[in-house]
Amino acid sequence: MTSNMSSLQSFFLLAPEILLVTAALITFLGGAFTGLRSGWFVALVGIVAAMLVAGGQPADGAWIESGGIRIDAFSTYIRWTVLGLGAILALVQAGDLFRSAVTRGNSFGGGFHTGGTCEEAGTFLILLAGLSLTAVANDLVLLFIGLELVSIPTYILLALKRTDAHGQEASLKYFFLSLVASALFLYAAVCLYGIGGSTSLAIIGARLRSAGEPMPGMATVLLPVAIGMAMAGAAFRLAAVPMQFYAPDVYEGTSPSNAALLSTLPKVAGIVVLVRVLALAIMPTDAGDDAVGGAAMAHLSLFWPLAATLAAVTMTVGNVMALLQRNLRRLLACSSIAHAGYLLVGIATAAAAASARAGNGPAGADTSWTLGLGGLSATLFYLATYALATAGIFAAITYLGHRWPEWTAGSGPRPPREEIATVDDLDGLSSTNPVAAFAITLFLLSLAGIPPLPGFWGKLSLATSALEVDWNAAITLGSRRAWFVSLAVILVLNAAIAAAYYLRIIAAMYFRSNRRGVQADGGLTAGIAMLLCTALVLMVTVQPRGLFVSSSRAGNVIEKSRP
Amino acid sequence: MNGFSPATHLLLVIATPLIGAVVAWVLGGRGRSAVRQSAAVTAVITLVNAGWLVLRYLQSPEAATGGGYAVSSAPWLVGGVFDVRLSLGLDGLSIWLFGLSALLSLTAVLVSWDAIKEKPVGFYVLLLLLEAAMLGVFAARDVILFYVFFEFTLVPLFFLIGIWGHDERRRAAVKFFIYTLTGSVLAFLGLLTIVLWNASHTGVITFDIASLTAGMAAHPMPMSREGGWLQMIVFLALFAGFAVKVPIVPFHTWLPLAHVEAPTGGSVDLAGVLLKIGIYGFLRFSLPMLPDATAAAAPWLFGLGVVGILYGALVALVQTDLKRLIAYSSVSHMGYIVMGLFALEPVAVEGANLQLINHGLSAAGLFALVGMIYERFHTRSIANLGGIATKAPWLTVLFMLFTFSSIGLPGLNGFVGEFLILAGSFQRAWAGVAESFRVPYLIMAVSAVGGVVLGAWYMLWAVERVFFGGSREPPRQGAAGHDHGHGGHSHDAHDHHAGGHHSAGQEGHADRCDLEWYEIAALAPLAVFVLWIGLAPATFLAPPAAVLRASTRGATTAFNASMRAIDTGDSPPQPAHVTDRVVGHDHRASRQPRLLTSELTLDRP
Repeated sequence: MTSNMSSLQSFFLLAPEILLVTAALITFLGGAFTGLRSGWFVALVGIVAAMLVAGGQPADGAWIESGGIRIDAFSTYIRWTVLGLGAILALVQAGDLFRSAVTRGNSFGGGFHTGGTCEEAGTFLILLAGLSLTAVANDLVLLFIGLELVSIPTYILLALKRTDAHGQEASLKYFFLSLVASALFLYAAVCLYGIGGSTSLAIIGARLRSAGEPMPGMATVLLPVAIGMAMAGAAFRLAAVPMQFYAPDVYEGTSPSNAALLSTLPKVAGIVVLVRVLALAIMPTDAGDDAVGGAAMAHLSLFWPLAATLAAVTMTVGNVMALLQRNLRRLLACSSIAHAGYLLVGIATAAAAASARAGNGPAGADTSWTLGLGGLSATLFYLATYALATAGIFAAITYLGHRWPEWTAGSGPRPPREEIATVDDLDGLSSTNPVAAFAITLFLLSLAGIPPLPGFWGKLSLATSALEVDWNAAITLGSRRAWFVSLAVILVLNAAIAAAYYLRIIAAMYFRSNRRGVQADGGLTAGIAMLLCTALVLMVTVQPRGLFVSSSRAGNVIEKSRP
Repeated sequence: MNGFSPATHLLLVIATPLIGAVVAWVLGGRGRSAVRQSAAVTAVITLVNAGWLVLRYLQSPEAATGGGYAVSSAPWLVGGVFDVRLSLGLDGLSIWLFGLSALLSLTAVLVSWDAIKEKPVGFYVLLLLLEAAMLGVFAARDVILFYVFFEFTLVPLFFLIGIWGHDERRRAAVKFFIYTLTGSVLAFLGLLTIVLWNASHTGVITFDIASLTAGMAAHPMPMSREGGWLQMIVFLALFAGFAVKVPIVPFHTWLPLAHVEAPTGGSVDLAGVLLKIGIYGFLRFSLPMLPDATAAAAPWLFGLGVVGILYGALVALVQTDLKRLIAYSSVSHMGYIVMGLFALEPVAVEGANLQLINHGLSAAGLFALVGMIYERFHTRSIANLGGIATKAPWLTVLFMLFTFSSIGLPGLNGFVGEFLILAGSFQRAWAGVAESFRVPYLIMAVSAVGGVVLGAWYMLWAVERVFFGGSREPPRQGAAGHDHGHGGHSHDAHDHHAGGHHSAGQEGHADRCDLEWYEIAALAPLAVFVLWIGLAPATFLAPPAAVLRASTRGATTAFNASMRAIDTGDSPPQPAHVTDRVVGHDHRASRQPRLLTSELTLDRP
């Protein structure tokens, strides 16, 4: 709880990121001298070392601040999510190494999948370091650097993995849109600087919360612009409406291992940006600094309707689009859009709940009790369960690799293997590869929110936090409570819609007979990643308490005023 | 007898199928007969254990008051976040359904004995998982735990229908899952709102069903314009979940498809137990926790019940497929139960509750027998069957028994339930509603009696065509092309595709035409209970009586008050605070002479 640390001490605060970058440098340089596999080995060692250094979650209310860095329960939670995901995704990405050995032996059309090189391992580590940096950044500049450290390696990985026309289209599309998103975030950052007169998020937040209504000078104009721009920039990373349309094309155009990465890590970045912007209005920086000034109220009353609308539209658009897809990766892309909507529900809920608490005053607020998690905690919980299941599915698809096309003997030479692309390609997987079929089923049922899988606990938390908003108010048309009751209804109905297309995949695997020989040639490590995700999902199913407690702690750092 | 505590006993009963599922999995490599034997042993152990637990319950002091028995509670998520507990127990409301689940699970295993030839391991593992979920749903005392079991029943059945079902199994499985899920997610929000309401008014955060019932009785949700009709909104949310599950008529379309396409074992569990969860949900949550909304909705639901009776019966009348006919008869019979429940008359409610068990026995028996007929003759088309009585006399006898039970022949169980429901409904229509409601209520009650006649018609007509008359040789296996020539019976062609793996059965017709030992073992217990309930209904009516009375009291009082208010021209009274709702009553006094002493005969001006 101090800001007077020596520069050496604050240097140590970034130890996980430094370790990751060091590992990346070793991989880059060493890659010239050693075999391909050692690169991913070093990457895994680096990630595990970073996890160890990141340490346990600080106790409630404890934090360390130094310069632009702030380490608290929230940042530790994000760091752990990122590093845990990183380990799984590194295994998935390393699967391409084995896959490319297979592809080289066969005559595949033009330069598919050159994956698995040491350059990729290093790039991936830099990406993780950037994401981990966003988690601890308490300064606009550092946050921006972190975000760019996520974006640039992503372009490289997209471009490296696949060099055919689809791959190029995907990486270009992502590249340009990502630039737009970065520009939008910069606009938001500039506006926030204009309001607070500092790049430090703590100072901007303090100004915002102490300022009365009307806000001083330009702030009246700058605040809406900042919130809108930040939300649009985050929407790209989350793949939320209105920046969602790229997702199906890019996921389809790149390799499954990259799709695994795109559907999880940028979403973490998007959530971090939104949480940081929201925290300006609701997170007290010092003890006793609980006041919510007029400017902060204005911030919240802009923030929650926008986030709630985006949440509702994103869920529905994602799910309805997914119903129409036949391509597996497009379908999962749409599913990941829908899940961005679910994640936004919690963010909107946190904003509205804070504004309700502040608006009702200490007397009017009936917040002496709470059922479960607050909105932010629910989002963080959901983020982990979603990422686990989605990474697991893409790990399984990477692992399954290719299939033989339909071919009858005597009708010419057997055509080469094709990548698994459509839902139909999984027909009868339960008989050819029962373990993978079971794992995918588990992940899909979790995403659908079937109890008692982790996705259910996530949706339970989101729904309760939304129902709790402004609990004592009457449900009248247009009231804050009516908004969030509707949001909860939209959320659960969307869960039912989503079950329709998840079940289609399960039905293909279990109810149809096998017509296509799935090869399971995508690399052993991807298979290990799949099993790892399965084990973690089962663990959270049986006892979700650990994840509940740490996500609750993480969210409550920001949502301080919650009971 | 009291060697170990009832709570441990209950845990053991629910855990046995799970252990059995693991055993069946492990034995998977040893072939079909090892798997099915282990599944049967598991089901028998579970049944014996469950039966023993039921007997212990009946002898316990809790049985007299209907209170919770064998209650155990362990923390699951407690610690600052959701105070969800692994809380199990039985009471008068759940005791028979719990026993029924164990009984029908054994039936489901046995009727699949020879029918399931492909992937037997998966089949029996799923069947045992389903058994555990069904037992759990009736034993859950925690809202979230209830919901977990409630939803989890969908997953095994989805696979059972989708993998081992008939021709349209994929569509049936997905439709079944989506329909039920859509309803139940809304019910879930309703349950959460109840928990939140209770927390905000009592200051205690609890998911315990008994505490929630008490809390909702002390602090009823508003049922007025000023309160935003919250109680009605929550009632409708719960209704969405339970009505689809029952199913109440406009929401029934998933049922015939799921039943027809499901393998016999799945149909037995679906008809016998899963449909009952909807009614159980109404009795457990809607009626005691939301009495005023229930009272307001009761006339509509009473009407929907009657519509279901008539609609189901009329559609059953024109069916050409025997299994589909029985599926629609289920719709019709569930209509009686809905009608009896929402008559809000103690006699009718008791009848409805008994009818849950009756329908579970007779529908499960009929579905099992249809499966046996299908195995023998490879068709379910009524037109292609005939004269089975001479080939399979025991099968015929049992089919007749369950048919008579289903149409309510006096002396069998169905009669008792239907009689109580109709008697209660008439009592309600005659003396329990406002002047202006009386004629519609009487018309509805009379129509329900018409439904009994229709029920006898379609069932007996089907029996006559299928079992008696000229012995018709069912179409042979290889003659699928010939079947298409019949026209009008598109099911025949489907049946043949699905029945493809029965090729060995044809030549051995005469040998294996009547029931095998395992088929008799599957049906005999059901037949025993059909007779037992028919001859000594009091034994089965007594245990739930006190709980039923307690859980319907609030709704009944509110309904009577609103009817009285209509008569006297007052505005509807504010919801009364019913505080003695959970107090036990002397069950003997409340059982026998109810028809005469019913407190609900209104003082008419």
